[in-house]
Amino acid sequence: MEKKLGVYICKGCGIGEALDIEKLEKKVPPKVKICKSHPIMCSPEGIELIKQGIAGEEGVNTVVIAACSRRVLYDVFDFGPVIVERVNLREGVVWSHKPEEKRMTGGEEGEGPRVDELIQEMAEDYLRMGMAEAERVLPPEPYKETIDKKIMVMGGGITGLSAALEVAKVGYEATVIEKGPQVGGFAVKMRKQTPSSYPYEDLQEPVIQQIIKEAEAHPKIEIRTGLEVARIAGSPGLFDVTFKQAGTKSKWDIPEPVEVDEGAEAPPQPPDADKATPEDPANILAKDTDADRFGAIVLATGWKPWEPQEQGAAEEPKEGEEPPKEGEEPEPKEEGPNYEHLGLGKFPDVITNVALEEMAAKGKILRPSDGKPAASVAFVQCPGQGTDEDFPYASSITSMVALKQAKYVREDGGDDTKAYIFYQHMRTPGQNEYFYKSAQQDDGIFLTKGDVVSVSQNGDGLVLEANDTLLGENIKVSADMVVLGTGMVPITRDEPVLNFAYRQGAGFRDLDLFDGYPDSNFICFPYETRRTGIYAAGCARRAMGIQECIEDAAGAVLKAIQCLESAHRGVSVHPRSGDMTFPDFFFQRCTQCKRCTEECPFGALDDDEKGTPLPNPTRCRRCGTCMGACPERIVGFADYNIDSIGSMVKAIEVPEDDDENLRVLVLACENDAYPAFDMVGLHRLSYSPLVRIIPVRCLGSVNVVWIKDALSKGIDGIMTIGCKFGDDYQCHFIKGSELLDIRMDKIGEALKSLALEKERVQQVQIAIDEYDKIPGIIEEFMETIQGVGPNPFKGF
Amino acid sequence: MANSYWVEPDVKFVRQLKTMGGDTLKKCYQCATCSVVCPISPEERPFPRKEMIAAQWGLKDKLVGNMDVWLCHQCNDCSTYCPRGAKPGDILNAVRGMTITEYAWPGWLGKIVPDARFWWLLLAIPIAIFLVLLGATGYLKIPEGEIEFAKFFPTLLVDLVFVPLATLWIPLTFGIGISRFMKAIHNNAVAEGKAKRNDLNIPDFLKSLVCTIPTILSHSKFSQCTANKDRYLAHLLVLFSFAGLFVVTNIFFVALYILQLPGPYSQANPVKIFANLNAIALLVGVILMISNRLKDRGPNVGKGSYFDWSLILLVLGLVATGGLSELTRLAHLPSIAYPMYFAHLVFVFCLFAYLPFSKLAHLVYRTLAMAYSRYALREPCE
Ligand code: SF4
Ligand code: SF4
Ligand code: SF4
Ligand code: SF4
Repeated sequence: MEKKLGVYICKGCGIGEALDIEKLEKKVPPKVKICKSHPIMCSPEGIELIKQGIAGEEGVNTVVIAACSRRVLYDVFDFGPVIVERVNLREGVVWSHKPEEKRMTGGEEGEGPRVDELIQEMAEDYLRMGMAEAERVLPPEPYKETIDKKIMVMGGGITGLSAALEVAKVGYEATVIEKGPQVGGFAVKMRKQTPSSYPYEDLQEPVIQQIIKEAEAHPKIEIRTGLEVARIAGSPGLFDVTFKQAGTKSKWDIPEPVEVDEGAEAPPQPPDADKATPEDPANILAKDTDADRFGAIVLATGWKPWEPQEQGAAEEPKEGEEPPKEGEEPEPKEEGPNYEHLGLGKFPDVITNVALEEMAAKGKILRPSDGKPAASVAFVQCPGQGTDEDFPYASSITSMVALKQAKYVREDGGDDTKAYIFYQHMRTPGQNEYFYKSAQQDDGIFLTKGDVVSVSQNGDGLVLEANDTLLGENIKVSADMVVLGTGMVPITRDEPVLNFAYRQGAGFRDLDLFDGYPDSNFICFPYETRRTGIYAAGCARRAMGIQECIEDAAGAVLKAIQCLESAHRGVSVHPRSGDMTFPDFFFQRCTQCKRCTEECPFGALDDDEKGTPLPNPTRCRRCGTCMGACPERIVGFADYNIDSIGSMVKAIEVPEDDDENLRVLVLACENDAYPAFDMVGLHRLSYSPLVRIIPVRCLGSVNVVWIKDALSKGIDGIMTIGCKFGDDYQCHFIKGSELLDIRMDKIGEALKSLALEKERVQQVQIAIDEYDKIPGIIEEFMETIQGVGPNPFKGF
Repeated sequence: MANSYWVEPDVKFVRQLKTMGGDTLKKCYQCATCSVVCPISPEERPFPRKEMIAAQWGLKDKLVGNMDVWLCHQCNDCSTYCPRGAKPGDILNAVRGMTITEYAWPGWLGKIVPDARFWWLLLAIPIAIFLVLLGATGYLKIPEGEIEFAKFFPTLLVDLVFVPLATLWIPLTFGIGISRFMKAIHNNAVAEGKAKRNDLNIPDFLKSLVCTIPTILSHSKFSQCTANKDRYLAHLLVLFSFAGLFVVTNIFFVALYILQLPGPYSQANPVKIFANLNAIALLVGVILMISNRLKDRGPNVGKGSYFDWSLILLVLGLVATGGLSELTRLAHLPSIAYPMYFAHLVFVFCLFAYLPFSKLAHLVYRTLAMAYSRYALREPCE
């Protein structure tokens, strides 16, 4: 495609006052067909001006608009198939820099380059960079396939059935797969459920039976019980699912991965996968022609009760450690609190909240030891000995259940029955607060924060000891029964469940990042898991009660439908919803290093026997991590590739022989960091005019070649700014910023061999609301760079 | 903290507290806002948050023997700020009522005085005693001529009732109650580590008592409150007029028996003027109290329980009948004046006889608790 560029410079929003627009226009090379400025480019007249250029004899097909940030007015500057390139003069230049007629240091009479000239240079650079990028991008074309729009719901509990109903109600088809002999899940084992309607005070009859009936009767819902998933192959719109009888083995089971050392680069590979023939089920890429096809999957496999870590007893002694002597108890391990001190398993009258619920559903609450009614029951929340260890799995559920069950106790016994609740936290968000209040109001329910340290036998009853209670001291109470509040652990924490025939493994990766939950970003993108097309709902996503599960199911179903429809239109589903691009591989130069396959945060890439990547466009979220990872630089998108960003870097003019007029390149993640820079401008904060910012899709997409190019060009320092990583990561693509961090470690070595200082390249983590820190961060980096001095490669 | 306290919640106690004006106690969720805003609460082990949970758990021994509840002057700052509408001010008041009942001797009287169902019985007792006395001595009629109350109810008969009441009944019943109370608050303070000394030294305690009196007279604790500051004036008026009337009664007693000067005394008599002034002050004080209590202070501040109101109404009845009997006497209306006087004596009887069991006992309990607190915390006299 022959590029016919039109450059349009806006003079509004303070741009015209701060910059010399004529001078700027002169920087546009003569081969550009049109170069025009307008007082307000986003006005109807301005838009008309651009449209004339497109429709006129110049036939402009690539528009470079030097005005505001690309994050605003994208709908105004939309000219259909025409490529639009935005140059951020407003937020990036004039709002964040004052064009004063003073010198860099020491005011008007001082030294160094003049500030207003630097700002003009900044605008010129950005314009050049925009034109350079525009030359190297292509209009994207969607990747279309014929897809299937049926939705599979895994799990036939309250969430699964509600999800199926939601799917059916909007006219899609749903298949519910339940492992057990019948549907209903734990909800059918409950006596009552916590209130879901005004006044939110009284327990309600469970709604599950009603939901089962509705789901079973719906013509668009198919319910299949006693089945498990042996394998899920394919990608959104095209999932091929092989079922098997629950508890049995199937030839389509995903082979156990071989153990790999941590830190090893290669992904876990099934044994002999490379040798397996395409027909052999041991090859995860083998196709089961009898598989069922689904478009998207709702993961509603629920939970299991939380159990604290086992104590050391069963563990093998580590090397070099003395094995415990005969008759000696092994030392209890520090990090392994369990229920032992609370007598679970030791005293029959100590049970879990799960056991109590099942008992209550069947009849009255009776002591397991002698079958007598329980006159006093003590509920212990967070039984992990004050550690709050079950916190990730407790959510508000253990609080709500304890309150509910305390009500059972009072319901079943006489007026003098007592229910104690010892908690580390009492979490009753939203309307649940009314329920808490109503339980509190009961004369026979006694609540206190406290750390329950022991349960012991006393006569035929139990004695419970609690420290640090609100009563101001350590207390003891006697109780007929003790109920331990256990949280809900998502099944996905310990089992692969979905059994993907993906190169990256059968389950979800990096589960430790979210305590075993499958989310890809719990806060910003609910329901989305680390595998595109799979949407978690209910207790697979967070510990929650019946009503929340029902609502959650609706959310996940909406996501699943969005996924189907996006796959159908050949666009990305999320978080870059509607993005038509997808990674293109120039396979002739692929060295089969598998870095892209391994690093893709969403397991979108498989590979063939030789190790050549096999892209699955509908699994892809267009993060660009594969492009950043590829050492051969052969991965790219139509509008975002090694060359497009590389040419922007090269378009930066680096002044030679000037110790003051340094250049710093910032690669800013467009999700948080780049908006934060815009906000710096919006708030009229300021940072050094020596900085040039290039937005990137994710730090994971940063290819080190850009850094090398920049350094060899003489740019003095490079900053990459992205989202927080680690435990509470905020990265939109899970690990992008972390992956770049690892890549940068390696570049440190390369710098050394070039005799360049390590300090020249720095990575910073920032959240969108930390925009106010940006000027400080930049200033600090500028000082560092001034400290190490100009890049010696300038001018080479 | 090694020892654990064996908790046995007393559900009955919770229910009792609720009927004594503590019906909101279960609402508390232990945020401790109340302890922070209370202008009187000490920095160490502040109240009323801890009292709230003790009340919820029915821990009677942590409440009725707790000196802290007496340091509270029910200013209701806490109740105003409580985010849950748990009305800690009212709860402490209810606990104080329960304390009076708990240590009362004889116990049955302690139970019926605060019980709204028995108000008639309390009034019937003096009426019966008076009727029997007057009937037996042949006085049960409206006398002729110049109104002179002694003609209707001979002074000797009055004293036959009131002197033993004041010199035997009150010292005996109240004495027992007080000694139980003192023992309890001392033990509780020591057990909970609130006291800086573990002994109970009577001379030292008396010293603290003496220097507590000015605090009480000046109502300086009361005036630290903000939520219902106006109660300060009403309470001050009532306290002082009561004290005044007490002095007057003693003067008349001396006048009668030692100086042999029987009444009625001239209205110009300075003692009489003082008495009338006090009566007016008491009336104003009580009316202020009533209007204060009825004032709408938002949903968080209660209007009081039967225990509070029975005393207020008794005092109101007392001044009203006293004043009216005097006015109708001066107006020569024997058919009103004599029954009024009778009623007045009934109320006076109630005030005295039920003193150790009614809210009025707080006069003594609070004074002792404040003195004990000063003593136990080794606070010097100002
Ligand atoms: S763009 Fe991201 S999601 Fe897509 S294949 Fe590459 S790394 Fe995977
Ligand atoms: S990273 Fe590049 S070279 Fe390596 S396998 Fe992927 S496409 Fe091929
Ligand atoms: S009484 Fe009110 S203010 Fe005090 S702790 Fe309880 S809820 Fe908080
Ligand atoms: S009523 Fe007043 S003095 Fe009593 S606890 Fe509340 S704030 Fe403190």
